[in-house]
Amino acid sequence: MKFLISLAWKNLSRHRRRTLITLSAIAFGIAAFIWMDAFLRGAEKDSERNLKWYETGSAKILHREYWEEIDQLPLKYAIDEPDSILRALDLPQERSTERITFSGELFFRDGSLPVKFVGIDPATDGRVFHLEETVSEEGRYLSAEAPEVLVGDWLADDLDLQVGDWVDVRTRTRYGAVQTLELEVVGLVNCPNPVINKGVCYLPLSLAQYDLDMGDAVTEIVLSASETSDLEAELSVVNARLRETAPELLALSWEELARDFVAMAEMKTAGSRVLILLIFVIAAVGISNTMLIAVYERVREIGMMRALGMNTTSIRLTFLLEAGAIGLLGSLLGLAVGALATFWIVNWGIDYSNILGDMDIGYRVRGVFRGAWNPDTMVRALIIGTVMSLAIALIPTSRALKMKITDCLRHE
Amino acid sequence: MIHVENVTKTYQAGTTEVRALRGVSLDIEDGDFVSIAGPSGSGKTTLLNLIGCLDRCTSGEILIDGEPMSGKERRELALFRRRKLGFVFQSFNLIPVLKAHENVSFALSLLGVPAQELRERTMAILDEVGLGGLEERYPRELSGGQQQRVAIARALVKEPSIVMADEPTANLDSATGEEILRIMQALNEKHGTTFIFSTHDRMVMDHAKRLVRLRDGTVQSDERRSAS
Repeated sequence: MKFLISLAWKNLSRHRRRTLITLSAIAFGIAAFIWMDAFLRGAEKDSERNLKWYETGSAKILHREYWEEIDQLPLKYAIDEPDSILRALDLPQERSTERITFSGELFFRDGSLPVKFVGIDPATDGRVFHLEETVSEEGRYLSAEAPEVLVGDWLADDLDLQVGDWVDVRTRTRYGAVQTLELEVVGLVNCPNPVINKGVCYLPLSLAQYDLDMGDAVTEIVLSASETSDLEAELSVVNARLRETAPELLALSWEELARDFVAMAEMKTAGSRVLILLIFVIAAVGISNTMLIAVYERVREIGMMRALGMNTTSIRLTFLLEAGAIGLLGSLLGLAVGALATFWIVNWGIDYSNILGDMDIGYRVRGVFRGAWNPDTMVRALIIGTVMSLAIALIPTSRALKMKITDCLRHE
Repeated sequence: MIHVENVTKTYQAGTTEVRALRGVSLDIEDGDFVSIAGPSGSGKTTLLNLIGCLDRCTSGEILIDGEPMSGKERRELALFRRRKLGFVFQSFNLIPVLKAHENVSFALSLLGVPAQELRERTMAILDEVGLGGLEERYPRELSGGQQQRVAIARALVKEPSIVMADEPTANLDSATGEEILRIMQALNEKHGTTFIFSTHDRMVMDHAKRLVRLRDGTVQSDERRSAS
């Protein structure tokens, strides 16, 4: 065995340039795999956080009909007594807030845009969301009852809005009557979630309740779960209780609320897998070419070894060790390069703001895309690279070993 | 002792059937130094391959030390070759990434010889073939004659009872070829190893104790002679 390992190792140096090219092909495939996985994982992780922090919370309790017609945001399907629901569900108040989300049109000077408005309670919204930290320096956060509005900064750019400007909001009350609100822009929201920046305005909850004839009603109770909690289990308990106390309501996790993002992320992951597969095909072609040449230029040598009584298993093992060593070394090199590239993307990220501007690419990430470490992928890449090399070498080796010894010895 | 009994070998070359051997019978005594000669296509390499258990006869039987070879499995034949046969090839067939002593010890390592013994036997045989001091050289750093000597050392290091040499001087100039033959002759005399050559080289025939001539797959003549 020691001899076979030594022979396999020495065989790697027969054609250094060819070995180096193959190593590079594998290293490139592995590094690209690791880097791309880190990039996608980072984008998904940041998106997930930005969804929870700025859009969905960990979960929401909604009226079933409101959820069914979520595109219209119909105020008539509201939660009339949110506080009693919270009490009935025995949910901790310090982990919840209430909101009214409705659609309307934002007017400023000659311009107008359809916008999603969210009535928030400035006192409790921070329990679940991180909106206050994203208000631009020249502005301030909302006060409880004043006719004020926070506007997403991309939206403000589109309408050429500044802090201190007054805007009109045209919408309909819970009962369908047209309502116009006059609000002062007190701050611009510059948030890591681009969906908020480009189309959401925030106003005080009490003002929204009053002007939209909502009474104490809200459209959603938003919950925040700790990182360690089992959200799915908690929601199934909440839903079971809701069926008894308020069957018209249901609790939905952030994943259900952000179906568009989850579907998009899955699609992009599938697309990336195809890309990764292509990269691996390139690496596989490199290995197969190297091993094919290595085997066929050594057919006579194989014949000599067999003539001397070396069994085919040992000869096969020599070639497999050689291929495995190329795969392992290439994968280790790829791992090192991939880890360096991942280190860079985790710590500095890629700033897309100049390229993409305010374009929506589906991820809830703005400007800088950062990666995330995934040790599982690194180990998997190492194993895949090595096993792939072994598997590819098996074919030409087995074919050469099927030849008659006399044919091997005559091989030119 | 090698007993070849009415051996035939037929190849299929495309749609054509080639009858390389047409009933060859031959006995080779232990310690013999036999040259199988004949023009191209006479069947000498085929006969050598059959005696060397590298190929199987179409009909007939080959017995080595009383053991019939035809019924042996592939694995058994490999084991037999490993233990009892040595090979010297026309184009040396050394492993280019191994040094001279590693090429030689390769044959011994297949037998699982302990490291110390392996080293000693390798160095001794390399000395014997006149390569003392060149053990650390790679094949590319050796001349053709030196490479063939490494190949002879590789064949002999495991002390086989039979060494098969297919045109061992074909790739060498006449002086080097003669030198190689003298080495083999000396080893034959010293160790009593049976040497069987295939050749069409006059010089090899002259060195043989016995000359078997083949023509069209049959034994044309079989003469014992005094080697030069």
